[in-house]
This record gives sequence, structure tokens and C-alpha cells, in this order.
Amino acid sequence: MKKERSKKYRALQLVRAGVQLFFFGLFVFLLFGTHFTGKDYIGNVEAFFHFDPLLAVATSIASRAVFIAFGWAALTIVVTFFLGRVVCGWVCPLGSVHQFFSWLFKKTKFLRPKKVARGGLSWKYLALAFVLVSAVFTLDLVGIFDPLSFLTRTTVTSVLPTFAQGFQMLIGGAYALHLAGVGDALTQFLETLTVNATFRQGFLIGLIFLGFILLNILRERFWCRYICPAGAFLGVASRWNLFKLRVDEHKCIKCNLCTLHCQTQADPYPEKEWKSSECIYCETCASVCPTAAITFPLRGTPEKLPAIDLSRRKILLASFLALFSVPLFRISQAVKRAHEKLIRPPGALPEPQFLETCIKCGECLKACPTNGLQPAMTEAGPEGLWTPVLVPKIGYCEYYCSLCSQVCPTGAIKELTVPEKTVVRIGTAWIDKNRCIPYFLGRPCIVCEEHCPTSPKAIKFVMVETKLADGTVATQKAPVIELKLCIGCGICENKCPVTDDPAIYVTSVGEQRSEKNQLLLPE
Amino acid sequence: MDRRDFLKNMALGSLALKLAPGLAGRTAEGGGGAPDLAYIQGDSPAALAREAIAVLGGMSRFVAKGDVVMIKPNIGWDRTPELAACTNPDIVRTLVELSFAAGAKKVVVMDNTTNQAQRCYARSGIQAAAKAAGADVPFVNPRRIKKMAVKGEWLKEWDVIQDFVEADKIINVPIVKHHSLCRATLGMKNWLGALGDPRNQLHQKLDQAEVDLAAFFKPALTVLDAYRILVRNGPQGGRPSDTKLLKTVVAGIDYVAIDAMGATFLEIPPEELPFLSLANQKGFGEIKLEKLRIEKRTV
Repeated sequence: MKKERSKKYRALQLVRAGVQLFFFGLFVFLLFGTHFTGKDYIGNVEAFFHFDPLLAVATSIASRAVFIAFGWAALTIVVTFFLGRVVCGWVCPLGSVHQFFSWLFKKTKFLRPKKVARGGLSWKYLALAFVLVSAVFTLDLVGIFDPLSFLTRTTVTSVLPTFAQGFQMLIGGAYALHLAGVGDALTQFLETLTVNATFRQGFLIGLIFLGFILLNILRERFWCRYICPAGAFLGVASRWNLFKLRVDEHKCIKCNLCTLHCQTQADPYPEKEWKSSECIYCETCASVCPTAAITFPLRGTPEKLPAIDLSRRKILLASFLALFSVPLFRISQAVKRAHEKLIRPPGALPEPQFLETCIKCGECLKACPTNGLQPAMTEAGPEGLWTPVLVPKIGYCEYYCSLCSQVCPTGAIKELTVPEKTVVRIGTAWIDKNRCIPYFLGRPCIVCEEHCPTSPKAIKFVMVETKLADGTVATQKAPVIELKLCIGCGICENKCPVTDDPAIYVTSVGEQRSEKNQLLLPE
Repeated sequence: MDRRDFLKNMALGSLALKLAPGLAGRTAEGGGGAPDLAYIQGDSPAALAREAIAVLGGMSRFVAKGDVVMIKPNIGWDRTPELAACTNPDIVRTLVELSFAAGAKKVVVMDNTTNQAQRCYARSGIQAAAKAAGADVPFVNPRRIKKMAVKGEWLKEWDVIQDFVEADKIINVPIVKHHSLCRATLGMKNWLGALGDPRNQLHQKLDQAEVDLAAFFKPALTVLDAYRILVRNGPQGGRPSDTKLLKTVVAGIDYVAIDAMGATFLEIPPEELPFLSLANQKGFGEIKLEKLRIEKRTV
């Protein structure tokens, strides 16, 4: 028997890697484009999300509303229905990241598959059941597990900030080597990219991501194989798999290399054990086969449902866990009263609907020109983890900007025009008279008023007398807030010269999306 | 930055300081019969700026061949020109063109903005206008902000953006605006945009800070944009009704006199403004407008 690997499938494997690179590049390109580029309105930089059927289904179920742009997800389902999980193997940017690291770990011999991996495949289907059942009870956890959400959130809050810091080191190096021209050019370039580099949980989110990357040392594409609920969803959706695996028994030497190197445990050998719902058409098996025994000819028969040990009991257990999680995730102050620091971006839906719709993807965090939007920690309760919250100490809400509302892929932040946005009240500013310079020091300072963007300004002045430490009395113009005019943008807090803990600060009361979190009565 | 760099930069900075006023003085002598202030009115901001410089004796009086020229407009806010929060872009463009025509090697236009820099640069229209005329319009580079000896009456040292000190000539291009602390923000207040943070703390003694900074930066030329001025809700305004169309540009070397003229646009008598009186007492310039030779023209 002639021992020769299939040239055709080795070429196809390279084509697949090229396609992966293209889509990953597109993903990065769109993400880098998610910021102010000189125009008030930016295009569909969030388009990737709309092709994700898991996000489409789970978010629609949880929010009881269909976001029209999610119609694109039908295309992914149709493709999967006829061709199997090609999207996982050829398109998904997170899949490509995991595959890249699997390849790297193999090349560096950290990962040496010796035994064929068995079992464990049911976990991702249970994750899918968990996500969908909790969505039925309005708990939207899909964003935590969805691959696009996961990758975008991590890239925005952790990878890009790391990149920006590294870039800063490069710039520092250029100046140290007396290449001032290079340093200047790099600085201007970085500034034009506007990479938000300050995120409260960037380290933690990055660590989680790193953990999943390292799991590829145990098994190739660990995430895709065992955890990804979107992959499970597509597994269920794959029905025809028009290109079906065929092992030529005459050529096969039963070396088992195909099954050993299968990226997703789809077991190409023996042929009758092939799990079509696990196959991502990476073409590795056909390519590594030393006798070119494996091909994927076109065949029109339907495939069977996921051929994995998915018992009804396990599904029931996952569903029960989901049901139990709903109240568990809602043991929080957030249910009783609005958190004072839960300042949502302008256009955010009322809190319950917001939580049902937000997928924690971090697109808005990337778009925010001041870096003020941050992933929430405890402000919104457990189910609001990593949802966007404005932290004025880090950055304020830019008056003429509505980018966060434009890039939200699910409509959790309702899309607003710039004029619409400028009148949205997201909170109210308060003055701490014990720290405010005119009130306490009796010295002039009008910085908050000067920065207040509304016309007329929400910050006015009154003359106040202050008894100073030496017993004298100073009379000074001091700020007061006209609550009706304040939109809660937080620029006053951000620019207050009392640097550590500003003497003027914004809380969520008065946010117009809430009926209850109000203060002013109708006149 | 290591100590050696720091010392070198300090030396460069002080050298530039030593030379800048001297250079400005020398070129000023070439003015001959030029008036103290050019006061031009008309419909086109570009024509106003052009005429103002012509009245003062042409740009070659201020810019020598091979100079690096820094033009400092107010780009502080994320506001479009019709809101009069930033300097008129056409005036900036005209000054860039005139500087190049006078033989400038390089023209830099920059400001340390208050809102996000990109938004201010783009939406003020200044970035596009200045670039179209061939100027460099860089964002503030944090590594080029150095503590420098301002040596003012009150402000002894502060973080200053190096680009402003390294330029051979500085042209200040402020816009006339209402301000709730110093009442008017004009040319001298414009220098806060050449500083690093926490410049907001200077508001505790803003009038003195303005005087100290103006003496430190000492522009070769000041061109005051009063085409559309901001009369209330300053220094950002927000509504076209906060502005007033004056269609005027005032230019000259005496930056105190120019600010005095600017104050009158906001209907404030110059002697009422503490920063003007302080500057006048230090001998930095004239605030009695009747003592000035003002050439008024309409284009």
C-alpha cells in the first residue's frame, strides 16, 4: 500500500486556516473600529453578534422580545443545518484562538495526545440547557458563556489594555534609545486608536481567559469540545451534514491517528462511530491520515441527533439547576432598591429588562470615549456581573456621544441619536460640602460648573461664608446643583480638583429609565 | 525619563525661555509704523485674519525663515464652530498658511483639551482645517509634559507641554468667551491649554496664574477670534443663542491690550478684570484702550 497523505486535504486545511485568519482579522478590525473615528455615527461594528444563534435565541427568550438584527442568526442555523458545524471550525474567532493555542501547545510538546479522549462531551449540552432554561425564567446568563461575548469582553477589558500598556513600553523604549521621532509617531498612533486601558476587573477577566487557554494543554480545543454552549446549539442544529466522513477500509491501516488528533473528539474512526454533531470540518483527520483513507464526499442522507451520552436525567438536572439559579442569582440588594453607583449608560432599558437583554459583551466599554463605562462588580447584583456601569472617577459620559447605544448588539442600550442622547438623564450630581474647595477652604473654584455641558448649566452659584481654621470668615462663590437640569453625566466628578475622592459626585437617583429611583416630584 | 534627560530638558526649556522674549523683541522692532492693534471687521473669518496680519506688517514680521511655529487655538471642548466654544477653524487655517508663506519650516497646532482630545480636534473643525494647510496637529503626548520653572509671581513651577517651549515662535489664537470665575476667557487664560494636569487646581488663584503663564509663554503674536463670541454659559455654551456674532478679529503683540479689547466685547470694562490689572501693574501691557494706536478696517 502506498503511504501518502492526501495533498487535497492538506491544502484544504491551509485554506481553512486562511479563512479562520480572515474572520479573526475581521473580528479584530471591527473591534478596533469600535470607537470615535471622527463621525457621530459608526457602522455595524457589532455585526458579528447578530450571526450568533445562541445569543439570538437566549436573549429573545429571556427578554421576551425579538431584536430584528438577530435575523442574521438564521443564516448560521441554515448553514449548520446543511453543512454541520463549519462555523465552529472555520469562522468562530474564539474557536480560532483556541485552535491556535492548541496548535502552539502541540508544537511545543506541552500537549501530546497519546490516548483517545473519551466522554465529557455532554457538558456543553448541559451548559446549553442551563442557559436556555434560565432564559425561560428571564435570567440572561448567556453572555457569560457565549463565545463571542466571552472573547469580546476579554479582548476589550484585558487583552487590549495589555496591548496598550505594552505599546507604552515600546514607546518608552524608543525614547530611551533617543528615537524621539519614533516615540512621537507611536504615541500619536496609539492615541488615534483610542484603546481604553483602564478596567477595574481587567486582570480578573484576563485571568479567566488565560485559564481556558491553558486548558488546551489537556485537550485540544478544550473550550469548544466541552464547554461552549453555542457549539452545542449548532451541534443540535446540524442535521444533514452534506459532506459526510468516509473512511476507505481498503486504505485504512487502523493507526488511529485521525481520532487521536481530532480537534473535537468527533471520532472519525471507525466510520460508524463518527459524531457528525461534534465534527467542525477542520479537515485534520483527512489531512493527517498517512494513507489518505479519509474523505468527505457529498451525501444527501440526514444525520442522527447528537450521538453522545446525553441522558434525559442529566438534561433534567441541568434544567433544575437553572431553575434553582434564578432565585439564587437574585439574592441581592439590587432587587430591593437601586444601587447608588449603578449609573447605566444613556439609553439603557429599565433595570429588569436591561438585565434580561444585556449580554455583557463589552462593546459599549470599548466604544466609550472616556473609558468611563466599566464592567459592573456588585452594583447590579450577581446577574448583573460585567454589565456596563458608568464610573465617573474613571471617565464621564461625553455629552455629544451616543456610541455605546449604537454598538449595543442586543438593544439593551436603546439606539439613540446624538440630540436624543443629550437630554437623557442617567443620574444626579451631589456636592460634598465638607470637601468642596469654596465651601470648606473658602477659596475660589468653579471647575465643576465650567465643565457642566448643559445649557443652561445645572450647576449654579451661591455666595457662602466659611469659617476658616484661623477664625476668619471667607466669602466665596460656591456651587449648587439645579436638579432639574442635571443629566448625571459625571464630568463634574471626573474633573473635580479634589483628586482622590471628588467633592462632587453622581448617584443613580433621578435616572429617567426608572420609575422608582426618583427624587423630584412633579411641580 | 532619567535624571540626565530631565536635566537636559530643563536646560533646553530654560534656554528657550531665555531666547524667546529676545527673539520676539527683535522682530517686533521691524514693525516700523504698524499700529498696536489691528481691529478688523467683515464677513469672512479667513479674510479677517489675513487682513489683521497685513495691517500689523505681514507675517514675516513675526515668523522668520526656518522657524518652527506653534499656533495655540482654543480646542478645549467637544463643540462645533457655531457654538463658539473653540477658536474658528478658518482663522487657524489662515494663520498656518501665512506662517508657511513667511518661511516657517514647520507649523504645529495643538491644545490640551478638556473633553476627549479626538472629539475636540475633529468636531471643532480645527484638525481638518490646520492639516489641510499643512500643519502638524498632534495630540498631547504625556511623555512630552515636563515640570518647568515658570518663575511667575505665584506660579513657580508647573507641568508644561514641551512642544510649546521648543517652538521658535508661538502664536496665540484665543476666542472671546464668558467664564464664571475670571469673567472672560481670552488670550491669557488660553495658556492653561499648554499645561499638564492637575491644571484645574490653578482655579484657586486663576487671575495670578494667567498673568504668570502669559509672561512665561510670551507669544510673538496674538490673534483674538471675536468672529462669533460666547456671551453666556461659558466656557462651553451649548446653544447657538449663547453666542453673539461680532465678525471681528483683533491682533497685535501686546497680549494684555488684546485681552483688554476682548473684555469690551463682553461689555466688561478692562480695569474690572483682576488679571488685566495685575498684568498691567507688572508692566506686561496696556489696558487703557485710549492709549493704544488701533487701526480699524473692514473687509
